[in-house]
Amino acid sequence: MSTLAELQQRFQKAILLENFTPDLFAAEGALLAGGIGVYLQAYRARLTAALRDNFPVLQRALGDDAFDLLARAYIDEHPSHFRSIRWFGHRLVEFLDAAPGRLPHPALLDLARMDWAMRTAFDAADAAALTRDDLAALPLQDWPLRRFRPLPSLQLIDLAWRVEPVWKALNANSEVASEEPQRLPHVLLIWRPALDCCWRSAEACEAAALQALTQAASFADCCTLIAESGVPEPAQTAAGFLQRWITEGLLAKD
Amino acid sequence: MRETIKGFGLGLRTEHYRDFVESPRGVDWLEIISENYLVAGGKPLYYLDRIRRDYPMVMHGVSLSIGGSDALDPEYLRQLRALVDRVEPAWVSDHLCWTGTGSLNLHDLLPLPYTEAALRQLEPRVAQVQEALGQPLLLENVSSYVRYRVDEMSEWEFIRELVRHTGCELLLDVNNVYVSSVNHHFNPHTFIDAIPPAVVRQIHLAGHEEHGSYLIDTHDQPICEAVWDLYAYTVGRLGPIPTMIERDDNMPPLAVLIAELDYARTRAQHTQIEQAA
Repeated sequence: MSTLAELQQRFQKAILLENFTPDLFAAEGALLAGGIGVYLQAYRARLTAALRDNFPVLQRALGDDAFDLLARAYIDEHPSHFRSIRWFGHRLVEFLDAAPGRLPHPALLDLARMDWAMRTAFDAADAAALTRDDLAALPLQDWPLRRFRPLPSLQLIDLAWRVEPVWKALNANSEVASEEPQRLPHVLLIWRPALDCCWRSAEACEAAALQALTQAASFADCCTLIAESGVPEPAQTAAGFLQRWITEGLLAKD
Repeated sequence: MRETIKGFGLGLRTEHYRDFVESPRGVDWLEIISENYLVAGGKPLYYLDRIRRDYPMVMHGVSLSIGGSDALDPEYLRQLRALVDRVEPAWVSDHLCWTGTGSLNLHDLLPLPYTEAALRQLEPRVAQVQEALGQPLLLENVSSYVRYRVDEMSEWEFIRELVRHTGCELLLDVNNVYVSSVNHHFNPHTFIDAIPPAVVRQIHLAGHEEHGSYLIDTHDQPICEAVWDLYAYTVGRLGPIPTMIERDDNMPPLAVLIAELDYARTRAQHTQIEQAA
């Protein structure tokens, strides 16, 4: 191992473990120039700021002190492997899910899920939306095998609580106190038709159909899935979904 | 053919996207943080393409880790090259530092030991990046808060050697020179005097925080008078190098930064007039 590699490993270990005395520095650096303490402090401050950017609503819900404590625990367990700090926090939901006691209310986990999914949709790949005219131009015989493709930004997330009103109020920095969320397992759709993200909840049948489309199911497969879910008029339901998805700009043009 | 950039620029930040789109500003060119645009789509790339139509740009990275011990990340270099092809910047820069080891990124600009061994390790890495990007790489001096026991030379001697051996060019951060000069007790003019003028392509100016006996490079406040004076000294020695202001936190309205940039113009012009007289 080169001396440089060894020096860098020791410096990095000092930062990660908050060791102020890695015995690498000239006295002048350690005592007068701020020393390694500047790097120790900056490391945690910078990553905490990145988590605040990526989980703005969770941060507002928890408040500064509780969020910073949580961030600190996450940073220590999941140091960054990313070139861009934009992705830091990709395992925060999993981290919170594994130890629910880290949050004062279980619904806060859903706020974290929603924050991360919104962030993911925000800079996901662009795609032009499929229009009614595109659909009208599709020959009738092509419909069954046609694989409608959702926008690359589409996120389907399972939420256990009805947190959307709280998320919306906190995201807007609203002063209005929100009611405590109710337990209500459901699927939330998040997508970005142009530059701004949209979201709404979806019934299980619609969510399953969209999920199937993300896995390249044909329209016929989708109809079968809807029929198997037990809805009374599967063909009409499928047509209704398709119409709504087109109106909302949720499907991508080929 | 590389685009020529002249005059005075700013770092493009999300807070000012709409200002740049809505009307022309008194800014000659813009610098983007490369990593902010290594994404698939959405607003970052939309505004980048839109604003690029009206402004020459340069690219500035923060995670190349040119001084690191891990192999350079080929996927990162590929993404950077794709962004170069999209933006067609006048040049690409990053920092003379390391950012982590063992595949970790500490998201900080950590100083290198100024040793012959570090220089030998940098040489092939700079060549690899220059080949991947198809153009010379600009490296920026960083602020530092420690000096290593193993140092064999000063920072400016290290930079001179690096330029001589690799053919890289320099992004001279005048605020970083000042911050390090206070932290490590050297005369900042000594640093500036040692830099070969022909290789300096760009100058950074920024604000810092005072912490009693040391300074921290924070980019969150106006440029202080001591840095302005050092900038004037630098222009006096190096000539009219394209100059920009970096502001990353405590972000003021764009007009405030443009006024600060106008002051940089004034200082540079006065220096040149004094020299001519």
